[in-house]
Amino acid sequence: MKQKNRLVQRFMVGIVCLVLGFLVAIVVNSNHQATERDTRDTWEIRTSLLEEQQAQQELYKEIEEAENTLRQYKESTEHQQIDSLKQSIEQLREQAGLIEIQGSGVVVTLQPLFLDEESQEYPSINAELLQLLINELNTAGASEIAIENQRVINITPIRDVNDNIYVNNSSIGDLPIEITILTDNPEQLINQVEVSEIGDYFALENVTISIEAKNEVSLPAYDDQIDLHHIDIVDVTEEGEE
Amino acid sequence: MWLPVMFLVIGLILGFITNMTIPNEYVSYLTVAILAAFDTLFGGIKAQLDSKFEQRLFITGFFINFILAVALTFLGLQLGMDLYLAAVFAFGIRLFRNVAIIRRRLLERYDTIKKSKKASKLSK
Repeated sequence: MKQKNRLVQRFMVGIVCLVLGFLVAIVVNSNHQATERDTRDTWEIRTSLLEEQQAQQELYKEIEEAENTLRQYKESTEHQQIDSLKQSIEQLREQAGLIEIQGSGVVVTLQPLFLDEESQEYPSINAELLQLLINELNTAGASEIAIENQRVINITPIRDVNDNIYVNNSSIGDLPIEITILTDNPEQLINQVEVSEIGDYFALENVTISIEAKNEVSLPAYDDQIDLHHIDIVDVTEEGEE
Repeated sequence: MWLPVMFLVIGLILGFITNMTIPNEYVSYLTVAILAAFDTLFGGIKAQLDSKFEQRLFITGFFINFILAVALTFLGLQLGMDLYLAAVFAFGIRLFRNVAIIRRRLLERYDTIKKSKKASKLSK
């Protein structure tokens, strides 16, 4: 009788242990799978794979270019080294927008749109709208942009000051405003801007956008000092890093 | 001794094999439930060492503690107050106390065994 009792006793403890183990396993499972599930379908995965591959290709290309430059530095004589250094500097200056450049491009003119209304104020735009347009142009494939002879570089401010739009700390005046754009593919840029909503936004302010492709446009150099004094590198954790 | 351990392992395996998961908001219930189970288990072990184990107490204690802890957690969630901490606190204290008592009993037992062995050696 006592033996049987002991067995039942152990069995009870065993059942509690079973439940305990089961609960612990479930909690561990849940905590592990709390990370985001991948809900993309095959097509989305394929496109993202393609994008990554393209990015990889571009990175390879960049590495190759850098290695070429490095080899040039190493293999050449002192004179040539200075030459290639100068070349690099020139290239960097061009990238930073410190050099006047020419090439095929597009000229966008913002003009007032006069409707048949009795009294209409002279239309004006604001900096926000202009920034929208610049973003749109950049996505459409513009490589360099100048607004009314003010070269737009990476740190160019576009802002409203006393009802005037200031680009690079100087006013660009009233409408019409001319924006010169350097691009490899003017036609594509024109098409993309024409189908985008940006024209409607400008139309609300009674401004029209007219775009014209040109074989030869000339963009002025950025003539101020580039002040990177207050710019710091922000530590951003890359995707996949923890 | 081996039976509870085996059951524990079976429970763990069962849980991992079924790969069951629960939504994040119910994890706190489970944690409290686990604590309740632990508390009952150690209480049971202590009672066994004291030779005071009673099945009815063990099983009812398990379920009542379990239900009370989960209910408290639920109430806490409804009231926007961390009431489950009360359960965690109570179970935690009892767990430590029980483990201390179990340790003492086991050490006592070890001592008596050692003494009896010595005594038997001496008598030889």
